[in-house]
Formats: sequence, C-alpha cells, structure tokens
Amino acid sequence: MASIDSLQFHSLCNVQSSIGRRAKLRIPSNLVVFRRRPVNLNWVQVETKRRFVCRAIGDSSTPDEDIQNTQNDDDVVVVVASTESNTPSDSENSVSRFRSMITTLPPVVFVMKKCSGNGIWIGICIAATVLVAAVRTYVVRKSRDNQPAGSVADLVRRGQLRSGDRRGISKSLNYEDPFNNPFVKLDKGNSTVEMCGKVYRLAPVTLTEKEQTIHQKRRSRAYQWKRPTTFLKEGDSIPPDVDPDTIRWIPANHPFATTVSDIDQDLAQTNVYQKQGVPFRIRAEHEAMQKKLEALQNEEKLNNLSIDSQNAREFQRPYKLGTKLEGENIQKNSQDNVTGNSSSEETHKT
Amino acid sequence: MASLRLFSTNHQSLLLPSSLSHNPLTSSSPRFVKNPIRRSPIRSVLQFNRKPELAGEKPRIVVITSGKGGVGKTTTTANVGLSLARYGFSVVAIDADLGLRNLDLLLGLENRVNYTCVEVINGDCRLDQALVRDKRWSNFELLCISKPRSKLPMGFGGKALEWLVDALKTRPEGSPDFIIIDCPAGIDAGFITAITPANEAILVTTPDITALRDADRVTGLLECDGIRDIKMIVNRVRTDMIKGEDMMSVLDVQEMLGLSLLGAIPEDSEVIRSTNRGFPLVLNKPPTLAGLAFEQAAWRLVEQDSMKAVMVEEEPKKRGFFSFFGG
Repeated sequence: MASIDSLQFHSLCNVQSSIGRRAKLRIPSNLVVFRRRPVNLNWVQVETKRRFVCRAIGDSSTPDEDIQNTQNDDDVVVVVASTESNTPSDSENSVSRFRSMITTLPPVVFVMKKCSGNGIWIGICIAATVLVAAVRTYVVRKSRDNQPAGSVADLVRRGQLRSGDRRGISKSLNYEDPFNNPFVKLDKGNSTVEMCGKVYRLAPVTLTEKEQTIHQKRRSRAYQWKRPTTFLKEGDSIPPDVDPDTIRWIPANHPFATTVSDIDQDLAQTNVYQKQGVPFRIRAEHEAMQKKLEALQNEEKLNNLSIDSQNAREFQRPYKLGTKLEGENIQKNSQDNVTGNSSSEETHKT
Repeated sequence: MASLRLFSTNHQSLLLPSSLSHNPLTSSSPRFVKNPIRRSPIRSVLQFNRKPELAGEKPRIVVITSGKGGVGKTTTTANVGLSLARYGFSVVAIDADLGLRNLDLLLGLENRVNYTCVEVINGDCRLDQALVRDKRWSNFELLCISKPRSKLPMGFGGKALEWLVDALKTRPEGSPDFIIIDCPAGIDAGFITAITPANEAILVTTPDITALRDADRVTGLLECDGIRDIKMIVNRVRTDMIKGEDMMSVLDVQEMLGLSLLGAIPEDSEVIRSTNRGFPLVLNKPPTLAGLAFEQAAWRLVEQDSMKAVMVEEEPKKRGFFSFFGG
C-alpha cells in the first residue's frame, strides 16, 4: 500500500521572518521536515491550506513529543528543524529514502488488473468490424448477381455508362480520337486487359498456314460450284447453246423472275456510267413532252393560218347559229311571257 | 492516358503446328474441341496509337456474307463502314439485298433514300444522285440496290454491280478507298450478284453449329468463285457461356473453319438499341465492348491483318483485406 508518510525537503531557505515570531527561534537549518498525514492512501496530495507550524526543537528529547502532539491534527504540517549533522541519522535517512522510493512505484500487476476490462471491448470492436466487412462483401456480390445484364445499373457498374450522364452533371468525353481509348487499361505485369469493368486474358491464336491449306483443300473437294450465268424460271426450257451447269433455276416469285427486262443491256450500262447531264429516261420523257408540245403548237398554227380574222364571218355557219339563236329567242320569249304575266298580275293586285 | 498497345505484324505465327488431318465438321469427334497443347505466348498484338495504313490496291472491294441469316452481316457492314470513315477513308456501302433492304435503317438514312440502283439502270437518275451521303461522316456514302417494290432486271444482277463498281472508280471526285457490299442471306441469285465484283470477303458467323456449317459452305463457294482472301468475324460471343463450356470458343470456331480471324464481337444489348435508333454502335459515347471490337476489326481490315490473340474473360483480381472497407 503506497502511502506517503513523510516528505523530506532539504532547503537553505531562511524562514526566519514568517515563522520567527512565534517560535522565537531562528531556523537556519539545512533540514526542513514536512510531515504530512496520509489523507488518501492511493494518491499523494499536497494541500496548501495546511497550517505550517514551526516548533523549535532544541533538545533531542522534546522533538518527538512535540511531533506526537501535532500528529493528532490532520491538517498540521510540522516543520522540524534539526541540528547539524549527526551521521547515524544520515544513513537512516538514506535508507528511509530508498524505501520510500520503492514504495511509491506502482506495481505492474496492479496496473494490468486496472485495465483488464478494456481488452474485452477492443476485441468486440475488432470482431464487429470484421463481421461488417464480410456482410458488406456478401451483399455486394449478391446484388451483382441479381442485377439483370444490360440494365442501367449494370451498365454503370461495368463502366459503360456514367451515372452523371443521366443527371446531366457529367462532363462530355473527348472521344473523337479512336486511337487513345481511356476505357482500355493494360496490366503491365500480366498479359491482362481491363475493358469496361471486365478483365480479359490474351490467348494466342492457334491456326497455322498449313491448317488453312488443309481446310481449303477439303472445301475444294466438298463444294464443286460453277458461277451461274443464266437464270431460268422453273418450268422454262433450256436454250440449246447454254451450258446446263451454268443455269440457275429460280422460283417464279423470285425478284429476278418477275421482272421483264424492257431495257437494253448496253443502254443500262450507259446509264450507270453517266457522270453528268440529265438521266436517260428523264431526258427521253422530256424530249417526248417537247415533241408533243411542238406538235400541239404546230396544230394550232395550222388552225390559225386557215382561219382569217377578216373573213371570219364567211366561215360562220348562220343556219346552225341561227337555229340556235331562234331556239334561244323562243325560250327567252316564253320566259318573258311568263314573267310578264306575273308582273302584270302583281301590278293589277297592287 | 492508357491505350491498348497491341502490336500488329504480318509475320508468320510463332506457334507450333497442330495435328489436324481430317475434316472436323464431318468427323465423329465431339463438337467442342479443346486443344490441350499449350502454345508459347504470342508477343504480337494490335497497335492502336496510330492511324492504320491502307494496304492493297484501291478501291478495296469487300463483300460481307455469312450464308445463315441473322448473324449480323448488316450490323457488321454499318459499323465497320463507319469505323473506316472515322479513320479517314472514303467508303461506299452497297446494300445488295434485293427486296429486304435494312442497311439504311441501321444507319438512320431510311428517309433519305430516293433513288436506288434500279433507277440508275433505268435511267431515272445518275449514280451520284442515288448515293446518299451521311451527314455525320461526309466520307461515307450509301447505295441501295433496289426498293422493296422494284425489281432488278433478270440477268443484270452481277453485271449491274460490276458496272457500278467501275463507275465509282472513275467518278470525278475520285475512287473510294473501300466499297463494302452487304450480301443477302442464302446462296441463291442475290448472293451470286453480291459477290460478283468482290476481291475479298468477310465471313460473319456465330459460335453455333448451324451457322458454322453454313459458313463453311459459303466459304467453299467463295473460293470456287475465285475469292481467296476470306477473313472471319465471330459475332455474338458470350464469354460467360464459353467459361461454362456451353458455347464454342472463338479459337474452336477458327479451328473448325480454318479462316483467319478479323474480329470477335461480344454479345451486347446495345446492338439492338443502336439498330432501333438508327445510330451505329461505333458512334456511342462512351464506347461499348462491341463497338470497340468493331473498330479493331476495321483497323485490321485496313492493314490486311488478322487477330493474333483472343481475349478470354477472367475472374477479376482479388483485392486485399483493406479493400473491404474501401469498396
């Protein structure tokens, strides 16, 4: 049990002025003893409120009694001034000093026992952290498996879509140059490539030229084919000068079979090679229309030439015109009569 | 900025030859043939940090065919064609499908097609009037061979395309760098018409047995017709199914057909979206995996190169303990 029983303080200070009145004794001593009462067994407390009582210790017999008298007071600090140098007391002081040093050191066991409760909490924290990390990994893997491929979240996870693009807060990518692709990353150590969130390994191609030649020979033996030059509908007869191997029979509803070639082959070729000017058919139609217009104009001219304006009357047909006019006059007269009768009746009424 | 640094070479492969002595398609061996022999790692990969240099004679007349329908010929034509235009080459894409015209839909140019090859032949318009220039990339032009209701005169098919190609070579603004012909499905008159003027071919196939058989047949017909430069694009590759051995790998397909590999296009749902929008995949920002693959295939086409390595999906890297906290 640690406790401080006494504290010895060696000082050359002169306390004559403050203490001298009471004690009437000068204390030039080189030894001042502070004897304190243990207030707390565990802690050393220095209380400045204690009273310092200086007693003169002249005889060797009296100081113990005086000290004993003051021991009853807990708050009294006894300053004991001793005379000079008695060598047996020096050795005793050193021993007691050494003893006090040892007793003031707290034992390790005591410290460990004090901290034993904290170890449990540290272990609990570590275990909780590991558990949280494991649960988090499991949840991430589960969500990755559950996410449908091709969904927006999957695209974002794979790095093919940026989440900021949908919210309109991302910066535009400068990807006009197809040669520098920031989404392709090479691993310098291994032969792996990371693209769009997936890791790939490069596997060498195993096909050799000899194998290719073997396959070509195999195909040449398996597939004997001549390019067909003649397309005939099913049911048509084979022309005499055509090689049967070059004939391709096509069904009746095939686009080739349902088309009537009303255009000459040379003309078609010419049309394809035309670089400028009006296309053939447009030109042909235009020319046809031009001819038609000219023909119409010619016909009008002819009509205009044969009919003279001065002699227009001679070419009139009065009979027909007259019969028409007479017919019209008769109709008008009949209408007038009807209207005239009606008007006369109205006038009579009014 | 990280970039895919794969270096291309026209050198021979450094691999050891495998023992292949019989027809893999008709043999009784299992369908998914795995090559157990380990090859030495290939050093040469494709280089992307420079503009591709045009190889071969101009114009390069390429027909894109497959035999089986629905494998992605028209999609490949649109995306490869636009990739070539982005690289700076002048491209003319010809939709040689009589009666079922789709290339204009994929490119978003369906409202601008007024004249077709049939009108040119009949004399209703000139060839330059029938060409539809893409406003996004002015060096890309589309020519449709016919409208759905009009028919090409019988017997003109192959010759008409030859005349067209000749006329394009001699046009005043210069010969195009590439003439890409989208071939119809099947091996009938439409196919014969489309392959007539071609010098080289791209065979599009998917990793399933039906497409492979048709592709093999078409390859044989092309070789009989004199087209020797035939390269293959494997479309709709599912790396997850390949990992689970439910689908043939790209290397297995190559081993069965014996053709050089121009590209391997992964399955991507963006293809459907781009088709419906009339916005080709290669123009997407950010680019998708399939778009990147099409760009790479176009790059190899320009340089007459082929793939030396194939990408196989792997598990992502294992992270350290502390990554649990960081995510």
